[in-house]
Amino acid sequence: MAPNETPLLSVDNVSVSYGHINALKGASLRVFPGEVVVLIGANGAGKTTLLETVLGINALASGSIIFDGASIGGVNADRNVRAGLCLVPEGRGVFSSMNVQDNLLLGAHHNMRNVARNIRRVFDWFPILEKRRSQVARTLSGGERQMLAIGRALMSAPKLIMVDEPSIGLAPIVVNDIFAILTRLNHEGYTILLSEQNAYKALKCAHRGYVLETGAVTLSGTAEELLNDPGVKEAYLGA
Amino acid sequence: MQVFIAQVINGLSLGSIYVLLVTGFNLLLLVAMIIHFSYPQVVVFSMYIVWLVLRATGNNLILGILAGVVSSIVINLISAPLFQKVMKKRGEVDINSTMVLSMGIGMIITDVLSHSFNQGLPIAFPDTLSSDAPILRIGLISVLTGQVWSLVVGIVAVSAFFLLLYRTRPGRAFRAIAEDPNGARLVGIPLLRTGLYSYALSGVLGGIIAVLLAMLLGSASPGLGEQVAHKVLAVSIIAGLGNLAGGLVVGLFLGILEAIVQGYISGTWSDAIAFVIMLVVILVKPKGLFGSKL
Repeated sequence: MAPNETPLLSVDNVSVSYGHINALKGASLRVFPGEVVVLIGANGAGKTTLLETVLGINALASGSIIFDGASIGGVNADRNVRAGLCLVPEGRGVFSSMNVQDNLLLGAHHNMRNVARNIRRVFDWFPILEKRRSQVARTLSGGERQMLAIGRALMSAPKLIMVDEPSIGLAPIVVNDIFAILTRLNHEGYTILLSEQNAYKALKCAHRGYVLETGAVTLSGTAEELLNDPGVKEAYLGA
Repeated sequence: MQVFIAQVINGLSLGSIYVLLVTGFNLLLLVAMIIHFSYPQVVVFSMYIVWLVLRATGNNLILGILAGVVSSIVINLISAPLFQKVMKKRGEVDINSTMVLSMGIGMIITDVLSHSFNQGLPIAFPDTLSSDAPILRIGLISVLTGQVWSLVVGIVAVSAFFLLLYRTRPGRAFRAIAEDPNGARLVGIPLLRTGLYSYALSGVLGGIIAVLLAMLLGSASPGLGEQVAHKVLAVSIIAGLGNLAGGLVVGLFLGILEAIVQGYISGTWSDAIAFVIMLVVILVKPKGLFGSKL
C-alpha cells in the first residue's frame, strides 16, 4: 500500500470493556481501500469485540475510529450501516425463520433504492440462493447460510465488509469455497476486513494481517511476512 | 342447534376482539420487548375518549372513532420512553421491570377513569355507535350490527397486520427483531426506533379495538380493562407468548367458549370456566399450545 494513501478504516488505540473485563486494550489497525485485511487471534482474543465495536455495537472506553473520513466512535450501528459499513456475523447470523429473499431484503434495510438490481447481482453471485429464494433459512446448509449472510451484506452496498470467522463450523471444502468467494469479491473492488482462527487459509487470501492477543495487537505485517513469522507459525499455523 | 349457532356467532365477534388485543400485546412483546400487561386498560381508556367525543360532538361517529384511535396511539407513544427508561437491556424481553411499569400504568388509568369520568359510573354508548336492533334474525339466531362490524373489522385488521408484517420493510424489521434482537442490530436495524413503530402500530390496533368493544358491549366501566387484561394475558400464554398465529386461534376459541358457556350454562360462570380450561391447558403444555416465540 502506498504510505500516503488515506485508510478507509483506521482504529486507533481502542479500548472496550464489558463490566470489569477489558475486552480490548488499545487495539489499533488500518484498512486501505481495496485491501483484504485479516485479524488473527485465538478464541477470546477480542476479534468479535473489535469488529462489533467498529460497527457501533459497543461503547468505546477510549480511542478513536475513523471510517471513510468521519469519526464514528460512539455512532450507532444503523447509521454506520447507512454509511457503508457492514458485518457478516460469526456463526452465519441469518434469520432462520425468514426466507432467503427476506433475509436479503433485511440487508437492504437502509438501501431500498436499487433493491431489485442488487438482489439480481447477489443471485448472479450465488445462483444457489436464487433456487432457494422462498425457502426459510433454517433449511439451508451451513455453506449456503454463509453465502446468504455474505449476500445480505452486499445488499447494503458496503464500502467495507467485515466478516467474522467465516470458516467456523464449516467443512474444509466449503471453507475453500467461502474464501474463494471473498477473494472474488475483493477482485471486484470490495474492501474486506476479516477475522479468523483459521490463519493459514485467511492469510493466503489476504494482503495484510494483524495478530490480536488478549485485546491488543501484538504483531502486524503483510500476509507473506505473517505466514513466515516463526511466532505466528507456532501459535496459529500449527507448524 | 339454533342456540349453538347463535352462540358461535356471539363467540366469533367477541373472539375477534380478543385476537386483536392479543395481537397488539404480542407485537409489543416481540418488537418493543415489553410485557404490556395493561394494554387492555389503554384500550378501555380510549373507549372513554370515544364516549367523551361522541357526547361533545353530538354523536359525530367519524370524530369519535378518530379520537379513539388517536388517543390510543398517543398513550402508547407517551409510555414508550418510560418503558425504554426502565429496561435494563434492550436486546431481550425485560419482563420484570416492564411488567411493573405496565401494571402501574393500568392502575393509574383505572383510577383516573373511576374518578374523573361520569363519577365512576359505567358509561353507555349512544345508539348511533351500538344499536340493539338486529340486522338479521332467523328463529333464535339474531345478528347485531356490532357483531358484524367486530367480525369484519377484526378480519380486515388482522389481515392488514399480517400483510404489513410479511410484505413491508418495517414488517421485516419487526420479524427480525422478534427472532433475534442482537442479530437485527448487527444488520443495522435500529432497535429503539423500530420499537417505537410497534408502539404506534399497537396504538392503532388499540383504537380500533376500543371502537369495536364500544359497539359490541354498548357500555364500559373503569374495571373493564383489568378484567380483559387477565384474559388477554391468559390467551397469549396459552397460545405461547409471542406466537401470533397461536393467539389468533386461541383468541377465537376463548370467545366461542365463553359464548357457549353463556348460552348453555350461565353467563356468570363463563369467566371461571374459561379460566379452569386454560389452567388445564397450561398444566399439560407449560410453553403454550403453539410454543413460545421468545
